[in-house]
Amino acid sequence: MDFLAQNQLYIVMIIVLAIWLGIYIYLFRLDGRVKKLENQIRE
Amino acid sequence: MVLKILLGVLLTAVIIFGLGLPMSPHPQAWYELPVIPGLGEKARIIFFHVPTAWLSVVAFLTSMVYAIAYLRKRDLSYDIRSSAAAGLGFMFCILATLTGAVWAKFNWGSYWNWDPRETSIFVLLLIYGAYFSLRSAVETEEKRAALSSAYAIIAAVTVPFFIFIMPRIMTGLHPGAKGDPEGAGPVVEFKMSPNMRIIFFSSLVAFTLLFYWMFTLRVRTAQVEAHNHQRG
Repeated sequence: MDFLAQNQLYIVMIIVLAIWLGIYIYLFRLDGRVKKLENQIRE
Repeated sequence: MVLKILLGVLLTAVIIFGLGLPMSPHPQAWYELPVIPGLGEKARIIFFHVPTAWLSVVAFLTSMVYAIAYLRKRDLSYDIRSSAAAGLGFMFCILATLTGAVWAKFNWGSYWNWDPRETSIFVLLLIYGAYFSLRSAVETEEKRAALSSAYAIIAAVTVPFFIFIMPRIMTGLHPGAKGDPEGAGPVVEFKMSPNMRIIFFSSLVAFTLLFYWMFTLRVRTAQVEAHNHQRG
């Protein structure tokens, strides 16, 4: 915590990573849905 | 395709310049960002945190527009669009809350302290949380679409109030809140310099393009799902 309070640029990095993680999880779940559809088509 | 390339270029530039440009108390050169008293390097989160909140507004309003379209035309593809937009809006609303909480920890001393801004986004999350429980509670497709469209319209009407009005008329700690009349609170004066403004608005455009892309992907998937579902 002390390190972050003194090097505040890393806080911004955490925030950018949080947003990226959110988008990544969303894409991951969307990919799962598409995969399910592909399997349905193959059957 | 052009939009996707534009998104790639813009967001890359925003990340590079938003994180990389040096800060100086008396900016001289074009590339120097001003130091904002009380914020320091943390001021850079405006390039990333504000666009997520902005996207939740865009998404909730998109959801409302398609909800109105559904109620007028009774076409289920509008309901798909409306719920996809609400889903993305909810996700970006959560991201705005989380990134705001991290920032609050270092600016205000705790992750959560019921500032007007925090309270209003919390209420907004509750409102849209209820939207998804409403959708999952109704079995019939048409009924679900009609009910959730009506709800999406009412919910979106509250969005400008919670995001733009309430936090500005109440005294709070969030930059942009109405100042403490005594001048005692650690209220931050937030004025952006022209170069910050360019990065900020580029970020808003980039995130809006990102939303558009994620939204169309989600809608296309849901439409194929609905198509498959109908054919059994």
